[in-house]
Amino acid sequence: MSLWIDSLLAVLAVFLAVRCLLAPTLPQCVFLFFAFGLTLALAWARLGAVDVAIAEAAIAAGFLGVLLIDALRDFSRSRSTGEGGDRPSRVSQGLVGAGVLVFLVVAIEAVWRVPNGGGLTALAADNLPQSGVDHPVTAVLLNYRSYDTWLEVGVVLMALLALFATGGREYFCRPVVRAVDPLLRQVILLFTPVLFLVGAFLLYLGKTEPGGAFQAAVLWGAGGILLHLGGWPVFASMAPWLRHLLLTAGFGFFLLLGFLFMAGGGALFEYPLAQAGLLILVVETLAALSIAAALTAIFAYFNGMSAESAEPFTPASS
Amino acid sequence: METYQIYSLASAVIFAVGLAGIFTTRLFFKKIIATKIMGGGVFLCFVSFAERDALAFADPVPHAMVITGIVVAVSAAAFALALARRIQQLTGQETFPVEEE
Repeated sequence: MSLWIDSLLAVLAVFLAVRCLLAPTLPQCVFLFFAFGLTLALAWARLGAVDVAIAEAAIAAGFLGVLLIDALRDFSRSRSTGEGGDRPSRVSQGLVGAGVLVFLVVAIEAVWRVPNGGGLTALAADNLPQSGVDHPVTAVLLNYRSYDTWLEVGVVLMALLALFATGGREYFCRPVVRAVDPLLRQVILLFTPVLFLVGAFLLYLGKTEPGGAFQAAVLWGAGGILLHLGGWPVFASMAPWLRHLLLTAGFGFFLLLGFLFMAGGGALFEYPLAQAGLLILVVETLAALSIAAALTAIFAYFNGMSAESAEPFTPASS
Repeated sequence: METYQIYSLASAVIFAVGLAGIFTTRLFFKKIIATKIMGGGVFLCFVSFAERDALAFADPVPHAMVITGIVVAVSAAAFALALARRIQQLTGQETFPVEEE
């Protein structure tokens, strides 16, 4: 029975990927990509990777989906019917098809014969009592491999800076009021504290159960995005020093902590055993705040990018 | 057939589908989505092997790497989308220029 569910999910994921790439219009493509991401999230829940499932559903399907839909405002205006006439010639299509088929055979052979090295499960389980947390994935993310997580917070910040480089800062400082619908504004106001609380809960839960900094960051970021859409561009209208502090707090505190550990004679990110749990919680909170701020800023920038947003900002009347 | 084998086979197929998508479309927008689909295949492969190496719980190291990878991939995709939008705004092009033969 469970084998049937897994086979069905796998076939569904492949089917949705193919449909997504063959979709005649860009909006269809985006929504099939949403569905593909959620199918992957289900597959990961089936594989026991609940943390990954939450991250995929929230960031890869949710947040990127929002960016894709926002980008549609630019792309679907001039061409809504997909490729049009300029498809590649038959010869090159045949060559690509043959090449991909050969590649597919090689890839299937490769994943079928990956040697069984036993993985790092036993090692991770043995060191769990020393990590300061009870959930193995959080232990890997924030303790064994803190280096990855630290640089990841940096990558999100880099992405924001790279975005600024594509069009200048004025996009970011161009907030607009879209939602004049009072009902929508009230719903957004109602949901903001709920999102914040659920995010904080996931953050704290990360110590013992699936959850943690990234999942919390996306929920907080979603709150920021909703407020922005509702006409309260919280992040864009914040004082610059506070904005910069929020964006760099996660990366900066992580770095400072690493140097303090090294000054104390340990390795980079070698947490002292007694304070490990508390330090991890502080690092996670700051990292989540920074990522949430960066996600909100990325969205605010995207939202300002469209030519439609060029009208001047008018304060919300309430 | 084990559960993880179903998903590792699917991951190879998804990767190849994404690869084909990159070559067969000229639109920037679809090329970005195709790379995301390829990335989904890679992540699925990682997580399926984490399940294979499970003892009391699945191998947490690939899980952590995939979570990191998802966030990095989304950051890169956001940057790519911004570049594509900027190209569209400045030149009106949504595809690479077609070479005349």
